[in-house]
Amino acid sequence: MDTTAPILEVSGYSLDYATPAGFTRALDGVSLGIAKGEVLGLVGESGSGKTSLAWAVMRYLPAGAKESGRISLAGKELTAASPAEIDAIRGRRIGMVFQDPGTSLNPTLTLGEQLAEVLVRHRGLSRKDAWAEGEAMLARVGIQLPAAMMRRYPHEASGGEKQRVVIATAFACQPECILFDEPTTALDVITARQILDLFAELQDETNVASLYISHDLAVVSSVCNRVAVIHRGRIVEQGPIAEVFAAPRDPYTRMLLAAVPRPDRRVIETVPEPRADALLEVDKVSVIYGRKPFLAALLGRVNTQFTGNREITLAMQPGEILGIVGESGSGKSTLARALTGLHPFEGQIRFGGRPIHGIADMDRAYRRDVQIIFQNPDSSLNPRQRVREILSRPLELYGEPGRGADKAAIAGLLEQVRLPADFADRFPHQLSGGEKQRVAIARAFASNPRLVICDEITSSLDVSVQAAVVALLVDLQQRHGTGYLFITHDLNLVRQIAHRIAVMYRGDLVELIDVGDLAAGARHAYTRSLLAAVPAPLAA
Amino acid sequence: MSPAYVLKRIALIGYTLFVVSLIVFAITQILPADAAVMLLGENATADALAAVRVQLGLDAPVWLQYGRWLIGVLQGDFGVSMRTGQPVGPVLVEALGRSLLLALFAILLMLCLAVPLGIVAAIRRGKATDLGVSVTSYIGVSVPEFVSATLLILVLADWLQWLPATGYVPLTEDFARGLKHLVLPVLTVSIILIAHVSRMVRSELVDVLHTDYIRAARLKGLSARAVLFKHALRNALLPTITIVALDVGYLLGGVIVVEEIFALPGIGRQLIVAIQSRDLPSIQAGALIMASTYAIANFLADMTYAWLDKRIQYG
Amino acid sequence: MAELLRRMLRSPQGALGLLLVGLMLVLVIVGPWLAPYNPETFTPLQRYKPPSLQFWLGTDQYGRDILSRLLYGARATVLMAIIASALGTLAGALIGTTSAYLGGRSDEAIMRTIDAVMSIPSLLMALLIVTLLGKSSFNALLAIGIAFTPGMARVTRSVALTVRKQDYVSAAIARGEKARYIVWREMLPNVVAPIVVEMTIRVAFAVMLFATLSFLGLGAQPPAPEWGLMVSESRRFMHLSPWMILWPSLAIATVAIGFNLLGDGLRDALNPRT
Repeated sequence: MDTTAPILEVSGYSLDYATPAGFTRALDGVSLGIAKGEVLGLVGESGSGKTSLAWAVMRYLPAGAKESGRISLAGKELTAASPAEIDAIRGRRIGMVFQDPGTSLNPTLTLGEQLAEVLVRHRGLSRKDAWAEGEAMLARVGIQLPAAMMRRYPHEASGGEKQRVVIATAFACQPECILFDEPTTALDVITARQILDLFAELQDETNVASLYISHDLAVVSSVCNRVAVIHRGRIVEQGPIAEVFAAPRDPYTRMLLAAVPRPDRRVIETVPEPRADALLEVDKVSVIYGRKPFLAALLGRVNTQFTGNREITLAMQPGEILGIVGESGSGKSTLARALTGLHPFEGQIRFGGRPIHGIADMDRAYRRDVQIIFQNPDSSLNPRQRVREILSRPLELYGEPGRGADKAAIAGLLEQVRLPADFADRFPHQLSGGEKQRVAIARAFASNPRLVICDEITSSLDVSVQAAVVALLVDLQQRHGTGYLFITHDLNLVRQIAHRIAVMYRGDLVELIDVGDLAAGARHAYTRSLLAAVPAPLAA
Repeated sequence: MSPAYVLKRIALIGYTLFVVSLIVFAITQILPADAAVMLLGENATADALAAVRVQLGLDAPVWLQYGRWLIGVLQGDFGVSMRTGQPVGPVLVEALGRSLLLALFAILLMLCLAVPLGIVAAIRRGKATDLGVSVTSYIGVSVPEFVSATLLILVLADWLQWLPATGYVPLTEDFARGLKHLVLPVLTVSIILIAHVSRMVRSELVDVLHTDYIRAARLKGLSARAVLFKHALRNALLPTITIVALDVGYLLGGVIVVEEIFALPGIGRQLIVAIQSRDLPSIQAGALIMASTYAIANFLADMTYAWLDKRIQYG
Repeated sequence: MAELLRRMLRSPQGALGLLLVGLMLVLVIVGPWLAPYNPETFTPLQRYKPPSLQFWLGTDQYGRDILSRLLYGARATVLMAIIASALGTLAGALIGTTSAYLGGRSDEAIMRTIDAVMSIPSLLMALLIVTLLGKSSFNALLAIGIAFTPGMARVTRSVALTVRKQDYVSAAIARGEKARYIVWREMLPNVVAPIVVEMTIRVAFAVMLFATLSFLGLGAQPPAPEWGLMVSESRRFMHLSPWMILWPSLAIATVAIGFNLLGDGLRDALNPRT
């Protein structure tokens, strides 16, 4: 058998979905091949068709889908295979690893059951043998106590453990080909790194042909041999990683590569003047979640309180961009909520020298000066208000008296975030994700604030949209001299934009460091492991 | 499921019954009817009426009356019927037994029909079968019990003469005849339940069939049967337990109407008679018993749910 | 509004529900003018007539024209059900919003009590209240309104809590908006839609409950042309003339189906994701 012949081969494949308005093209003349032991990265933004390709390979298409072209697995034509043949191929010869292990595992079955059933189905093992084999698999993917893990339910395992189980399931029947659909997107940075290491190890060991789907070029560059860039259903460029990333031929690939955050490409040039009077001082601020344990104590229950922030102390200069990084649950957003009066806190905040001991001290002036932008504009923009109403509120509250929210003022705000004036009449659902976030930014800047808290504001956006939003933020910062508290989990992005970085871990502020000093070496162990976990920003 | 959770749920039943007893007592207290007048008739002398009031404790303040009544209830003494002069408790408990039999058969019939119907409709979503189940269930939930009961009697009892129209024969006395008398009442009360629950099962299952983990199970190459029975059904039927328990409220309401129509001497009929004759102790006891039935049904459902659903840590 | 209508008409439930309920509302308004006869005129020579050209739906035990009685009764039945549901919704929304707004232990106490009240079946609750107030249409309306209140409070609270957690509410708080603005301008428009859906479906249930109360002799009183009462009165004569019982039964079921369909259609149409 010819070892260079591709295991998975897609040629001239097009796919159309049936919609009430007629057919929409999802894939357009896609051709690619993956050889044994090879990892092909499929990179694209949301809606590019990258996941559609995975469904097409798995033969999991909605009724009414129209397709043409060929998809073959080691010479076997999949588009012509019968349902029974497909059932025998899925999980046996083609495995799949999904984006979110939290939703791709059945919550009411044990992890062991969900792993063993594949072995029973495809390898004809008895339940007992399948269970033993499953334990061995779990040990192989780095689960500490495999026998115990087999008996657990999904909610009793961490995200990383669950994803290991899913990976074990995909590798269980020694398939020839495995599809990875954004397998680390739902995980924290360090967990993601561990999963990527595991992937590389298993890949070397099994020589499987892998299709690695991702929106993250940095990840793709670190795990794949070759890359295919997909845009609006078409593969615009394909080739070895080093070649494509070093000398992209297609304009879309070039745009995508330029949009990827790289620490060495600083987007902010100004440095805040070191002044004696800080804009914001946070002094031993703690946030505690959960009710006071009155009833709990009465019922002899464990204290259900939970510390979101533990004695956080930091200070910011006017016009400074302070990045806050940390994994989910580290307390970054909790701090944002405390600073904007959305959650009570202990300790003290000083803003412009004025002490603030609690929500009651946050008066009009403070509210005007401190604005917040949320992660998800779908939730932060009221779906039943037009853009005009959304933007006019802060103008009415904080605008110059007598001027109010006239048409020109709204248009001015929209213009500032580079949106056309006629967007004022639209509802949020008539805007794209990036446009919605721009409206949210315009709302925050309507009151001419001195500090804007950006809570993961780019994490639901595509790379290219993210780059545009970041450029907009930088522009606004330079025009108004606003200070940003820039909360993110993306270390590369924050190294591009921030002056200083605060690292948070389980409610504590573990390190506060100048961006310039980061490369020289962080002091705290957690910061070091975080830095090590981030995919090297593009090999080129 | 921790013991603390069970204890908390039991405490909630206690609270529920306390609130219900307050409401029921308040309603019957504000009733314009004068118990003494009802007992002695319109022509009784003022002295005789006053004597009876003292004897019944009606001269005491309202809160004291409530306290006495509650203590009695807690000891199993619901008072004496103003209509028959008999103790209320034993009569109602016997009637409750008959009603529970009716309810039990109705729930069994509902489960046997509604669950498979809902499953079939969900699997064949958008097809003729689904449409058929859907249309039938819209009609089912929209016909009040007294209408369906009347139509069933008209067709099955009067025209076809298959079943007796009304009456009640204890199963212990004549099993076959007893069953025959139960068919129409059971059918009547279960129609709305079947229609409602089958719709719920359908929509739950449709939701579950669209989840990521069902897709993952399909893409592991499991057969359609295994995906449905092992992965989907359990998750779809879990919420149905809660819905069925909430439907016990409808069921109890239906029981009142159906017992009245079919002359079935259950607790619903006792309540109607009590309401019509303004027999306060019977109304109080009947309402309290009905509410406790509902509360206990929901407690059992919650326990079953907590036991079956491994996800939630009940604290 | 036009947009909502278009979305409603797209689904079969919405379209059929709109049609049935629209038709019913027309009958409520112009029914009495359409009626060919006086609904309460006895015609001793025309008793128990089957449907004919003269009496389209036949006549009852007193020789009254059933069609005319149904047309007059639409007002009594449908209007009452809508008012009763609106009453229960209003009271429930008030309690539910308050509970969600207070939060914490007050919220828990209110909701536990609501749960307790809900353990009295709606029909029994209505029966008890009618017994307390005396039998009449108006009291039946009040009773149904009260019986619906706890359920609506529950629905409102859960919707309000969901909306309360949305970031646009957080944004308004962070902006320093007054509580009144947040409740009326940010929350209410988003809370109303699901409550309207729930209320629409409850109207169907109210029609049935109202008819049931009349059937048990505790709602509308003879000779009112209330549909439930018509079913109740004609039961004795159903062997003689099944028509008498069939028409009002059909009318009740049609209205209930109409509101059920309308509610489901509204739910789909108001869902911004579809």
